Amino acid sequence: MTAKFPSEEWLKGLETKLNSDEKYREIAKDWEGDLFFSIEPEGNLKERLTFYLDLWHGTCRKVDYNPEASTYPKPAFTLTASYNNITAVLSGKLNPMTAMMTMKLKVSGSMGYMMRNVPTVLDFVRCAQEVTKEIV
Amino acid sequence: MLPILKINLTNHTTEEFIIPKEWEHDFLGGASLAARILYPLLTKGLDPLSPEAPLLFINGPLTGTNGPTTGRFVICGKSPATHLWAESNIGGFWGPELRKAGYDGLLITGRASALSYVWIQDGRFEVRGAAGLSGRDVYETQEIIKAEVGVKGARVAVIGEAGENGVLFSSICCDHGRMAGRTGMGAVMGSKNLKAIAVHGTKKIEVTERYAVVRSEANRALKQDNEAKVMSELGSAGAANYAEYLGAMPSKYYHQGAFPAVDNISGAKITESILVGQSACQGCVIACGRVVDLGDGKRRKGPEYETVVGFGPNLLIEDLTEVVRLGELCDKYGLDSISTSNTVGLAFHLFEMGKITLQDTGGLELRWVGFLAARQLIHMIARREGLGTIMANGSRALGAAFGAEEEAMQVNGLETAYHDPRGVSGMALSYATSPRGACHNQSDYFFVDWGHTHEEIGIEFFDRHAHAEKSANVAKHQNWRTHFNSVLICIFANVPPQTQVDLLNAQLGLDLTTEDLMRSGERAWNLKRAINNRMGLTRANDKLPKAFLEPYKEGGAAGFTPDLQAMLAAYYQARGWDWETGKPTREKLVELGLEIVVKDLWG
Repeated sequence: MTAKFPSEEWLKGLETKLNSDEKYREIAKDWEGDLFFSIEPEGNLKERLTFYLDLWHGTCRKVDYNPEASTYPKPAFTLTASYNNITAVLSGKLNPMTAMMTMKLKVSGSMGYMMRNVPTVLDFVRCAQEVTKEIV
Repeated sequence: MLPILKINLTNHTTEEFIIPKEWEHDFLGGASLAARILYPLLTKGLDPLSPEAPLLFINGPLTGTNGPTTGRFVICGKSPATHLWAESNIGGFWGPELRKAGYDGLLITGRASALSYVWIQDGRFEVRGAAGLSGRDVYETQEIIKAEVGVKGARVAVIGEAGENGVLFSSICCDHGRMAGRTGMGAVMGSKNLKAIAVHGTKKIEVTERYAVVRSEANRALKQDNEAKVMSELGSAGAANYAEYLGAMPSKYYHQGAFPAVDNISGAKITESILVGQSACQGCVIACGRVVDLGDGKRRKGPEYETVVGFGPNLLIEDLTEVVRLGELCDKYGLDSISTSNTVGLAFHLFEMGKITLQDTGGLELRWVGFLAARQLIHMIARREGLGTIMANGSRALGAAFGAEEEAMQVNGLETAYHDPRGVSGMALSYATSPRGACHNQSDYFFVDWGHTHEEIGIEFFDRHAHAEKSANVAKHQNWRTHFNSVLICIFANVPPQTQVDLLNAQLGLDLTTEDLMRSGERAWNLKRAINNRMGLTRANDKLPKAFLEPYKEGGAAGFTPDLQAMLAAYYQARGWDWETGKPTREKLVELGLEIVVKDLWG
């Protein structure tokens, strides 16, 4: 299933993908942690957008489209990026490691956990890219 | 910058040297300025362990100003390990203290008649006997000298027993385990009968109002940086997991491409299990230094990435506490942990090959995982005992002594660091063309291969297994890091180019651009190359050890080797170097304003 980004349909598609992708299930089998994305307005995005994913042992237990930050006060990781940078990652134009190392994608959370699980992070990005049919 | 104090230890004379303004403008400071200052002195016939050999301690233009990671200094000369250009930069608090004492450098020649230390206090100079400090470790020596000078806040740069014994990879230490480890500057210091240099000053390091504003913003941004967060939370060993995943973290002396037990020794493991504190160099907001407790209640220095890999995966040791202890032993003796672990790894490797026997080791079994054997070898190296007599001259000498020089993982006499070009191909050029041998700090290109680009200065991302197409990019990155090594900003600090321009212009009253910084880096890179050419280096020296050209069978880099010759051809073209001789062309030297070099290289 593919969908236009950003949309609730896209997020649901990503949830389905994460729960059906064998490679992701294997690589992420030890991952325990939820992600809160905060996308800053830029270009075609006029207002701040958020989305939430609860990832657990190679599955996605829950997604939430555009929730208030206060709904999830202590996510394992908060990832913040401008719209252009997040869409560049989703379209494959920006390497996700480059995005993190050049602060185009800001990360807050346990860096130890993140560094131990870079393969999971990279495969999560692959799944997100494969779900992205079109970018607004 | 402030004057450099020239010290002759033979006759205890001193003289102030005022750095010409145009040199400061062209080279900024640090290692680049050192290359300009030392250029006339570093000749082919110079014995680096002779009294005539210069040993230059020098600051950067921002040392001690509390800018982002600017508390550093660098030690330069001719390496006894490589007989080429030597530089080794170091943090701590010693460089800023020297500036407070009225100097931005010490240029030391001569040889004291007996083991001595130098005491510099607010422009006053004294040589004191240090016979009683012979054999003392680097921490004891600092404490004894601090007590002896009796001045609160004095800082001491010291060598350990290894430097006294002329181990060719001995280091210089200051503060708690801050080491200038590479290229054997500790041996040069030891050859001068110089155990330590204590400094103290009361002068205030002035900064401009504008600099204070830019500095504040730069430090704030640095603290928020993702990489800085990793360094702060995990230390540099935080990179071990990812490096292992890519097959860029060598194990079993570069002959095994995967180390499944990486979780046992990574920076994350250190943080979770033994970390009890952090340490920082002067003014640094990152604090990558680890303070650990192994269960005995003693606070110790914890290992950084190179020490973790060198005494961990490199020897197949999975026990983190043993890795910590082996690193600590190196520090106490004043040994570079990269070259030491590398040379120990070669000894294990040659033992497995049957080239080194029990007869050679005095009955010591050099088996993988053998941390007791590793510990014993470190003692033997530092004291130049038994097999350690040969090992103290480095891996090239050890390999040659057993008819296996090609097995030694080194370039031009400097042992390779633990970033494998089979996992991150840019390191092939970093090692092969560095002015000081197989060095990862003249261009830590593995970061670029991981994705850390600097698009504003043209450093882009290429696949980690790309070949010649990334050669020009490596050259740019070398220029960028040479700039870092002139200003002496820590390479762990992701300080953007424009911020560096703003800092320098604000403090120095200059009108520099990012292009100027890159040009300054290129100029110094070529000057160091010219120094090496004059000391005999040719294109034949631009090479890699054998194992890097043989593919791993397992891990994230399985099957890959870098095409070094194609990479070099493209690199020479990008550099403007002559393929036949390995020298910068006359045109390139003139373009960079290095006319002083043209006659020496080209007649």
